[in-house]
Amino acid sequence: MIADRAQLTRRRFLSKFAFAAGAMTTGAGSWVIRPDWANAAEGPIKVGIATDLTGPIAYAGNADANVAKMIIKEINNAGGLLGRPLELYIEDTASNESVAVGNVRKLIQRDKVDMVLGGITSSMRNAIKDPITARGKTLYIYPQLYEGKECTPYVFCTGPTPAQQCDEFIPWLIKNGSKRFALPGANYVWPRTLNAHARTLIESHGGEVVFEEYYPLDQLEFSSTVNRIISNKVDMVFNAVIPPGLGPFVKQLNEAGYLKNGGRLSAVTYDENMLNIHQANEIEGLTSCLDYFSAVAKDDPVSAKIQAAYDKDFPGPFLFAAGSAATGTYRGLKLWEAAVKEAGKTDRESVAAALDHAKIAEGPGGPAEMVPGKRHCKMNMYTAVAKGGKFEIVRRSNQLVDPKEC
Amino acid sequence: MANAFVALFEILSFGAIIVLIVLGLGIIASMMGIFNFAQGEFVLLGAYITYLGHSRGLPVWIGMAVAPFLVGLVGFVLEGLLIRRFYAAPIVAMLGTYALGLIIRETVRGLTGGLYLTVPEPIGGSIDLGTFHISAWRFTIVVITILVMGACHVLLSRTSFGLRVRATLENPALARASGISTPLIYGATFAFGAALAGLAGALIVPVFTLFADLGIRFLIQGFVAVMVGGVGSFIGPVMGAGVIGALSAALPWAITPVLADVFVFVLAIAFIKIRPQGLIAGKRV
Repeated sequence: MIADRAQLTRRRFLSKFAFAAGAMTTGAGSWVIRPDWANAAEGPIKVGIATDLTGPIAYAGNADANVAKMIIKEINNAGGLLGRPLELYIEDTASNESVAVGNVRKLIQRDKVDMVLGGITSSMRNAIKDPITARGKTLYIYPQLYEGKECTPYVFCTGPTPAQQCDEFIPWLIKNGSKRFALPGANYVWPRTLNAHARTLIESHGGEVVFEEYYPLDQLEFSSTVNRIISNKVDMVFNAVIPPGLGPFVKQLNEAGYLKNGGRLSAVTYDENMLNIHQANEIEGLTSCLDYFSAVAKDDPVSAKIQAAYDKDFPGPFLFAAGSAATGTYRGLKLWEAAVKEAGKTDRESVAAALDHAKIAEGPGGPAEMVPGKRHCKMNMYTAVAKGGKFEIVRRSNQLVDPKEC
Repeated sequence: MANAFVALFEILSFGAIIVLIVLGLGIIASMMGIFNFAQGEFVLLGAYITYLGHSRGLPVWIGMAVAPFLVGLVGFVLEGLLIRRFYAAPIVAMLGTYALGLIIRETVRGLTGGLYLTVPEPIGGSIDLGTFHISAWRFTIVVITILVMGACHVLLSRTSFGLRVRATLENPALARASGISTPLIYGATFAFGAALAGLAGALIVPVFTLFADLGIRFLIQGFVAVMVGGVGSFIGPVMGAGVIGALSAALPWAITPVLADVFVFVLAIAFIKIRPQGLIAGKRV
């Protein structure tokens, strides 16, 4: 009995010592998740995740890190990759580009990871892609929906592009009776590029853009905007305003009687997280187009399995949601896994060559495949309507939708 | 005509919101000579308490009624533990209160998971006046702001507590010699300023949703308002807040919002250059 306890204490001491040593070597803001088995001959394959664990979009970054933990655990439990275990290195990009570049360098230079996945905003992607791909000579996967036009070599995008989100969605909106569009947006690259794409589509399908305007990212007061939307008799607000302004904007729009008088809302960012921002009646009938909604899981057993596995491991506030890049992270890691399997080795050239045409049969929302030579990903797209504070799927793409990039 | 009326109401209501937020800041700055950088986070705390009450199933107005008292209590405790060590060094006070604000902000961010969360209004919907609509809750905020403003003014100018506060500000040594407990007055004033911030947070959270940066978003505007209004009186910061709030809401009607945002500050800087003492100079109520 006494011997047992002594052993337990020693084991506990060793594990604590290992944890402390890990913390000391990695420094603050770094997490290493080591596999519980090892391949002595070759050592583990190292996966780097650089995402916003702190700062204003931490809810998304933490969800992405959770997805990575879940997938790496799954792969390790199934015997690893090429017979080697995976080791997960997570760095915080802290919603701050200069902090991020330093932390990403740690992944590349100190930890020598074989691949980096992460970054959520476009400014973050632009800040860290060069340290990863050019100076770092490492593969980079960007998982978030974004404005397109990212064609840097060795950068692979696994989130939806404007073509995937809008090309079927906007004609569908027009067919359902919306003619006069307003395009309000936050003043940065994603809303501006997205709206340029949307404007072309609206005009070529018989709609009309009567209003396009941009706002400082922290603007909270939208009375003049709302007034112009109402007085221009807009019947569809295609929204690219982001939080924190989003909640007040939609509320003011409602109080001015926009929805009551038959106006409708749409956006290509609305996932389950966004439902928290509004009272259910404020966004009744809002339509959104994304690569995944948790409502998809109802009819798709694969999605249901993934959603259930995530919810079981991470029941906290960080949802498995498309707008958080959680689905892009899932897809990115699985496509990379498929590529490494095909290549049979982990050097950048071989994996990039295999990833160029990688496919997965199972993912959230369905299968996905890279478009050869384009470094973007084909996937299923879903249109959902908010009803009583929940999304209902009203339309799904017939086949995988092309990203039409590069 | 209807358009102009709606515009006027919206400008008035945003002005009222800024006044409500600046009230506490102005009182602490004017009556104590401390620039409280944690004031924004007191607003956030008020909002968070209201959300917490709502998420536990209580009616929203109960959270709103409790928030000022709880935030006032927090302010009183913090004054006793920390703030009173800073009175001799105003610069250190700024840094100290900023640090305090940071701690509160990041704690709330942790507690809310960094999400943006909605809180319903106790009085929702809109007041329909013919073809146009004004927000019922914003109208309520305007009314409450006017009441609170009046009450504060009466408290500071007509009551014996107000007299003690002003005496303590003007000449602490003489106030002490006259038997006024200045530490207690400082504590009470700070708590009162914090409570007003808590009330502001509780009232605005249905309008702006709850998020960790809610307070810091208004802090800069609040300080510009205090500068424009002039430090030293109660009425100065309030007037400054009215001007800044009305300007921020009015300019987007005339010019593109991205420019309007910058323009408010340009105007404020120009004004302070011309009239450094602010709208209201000197020590008055």
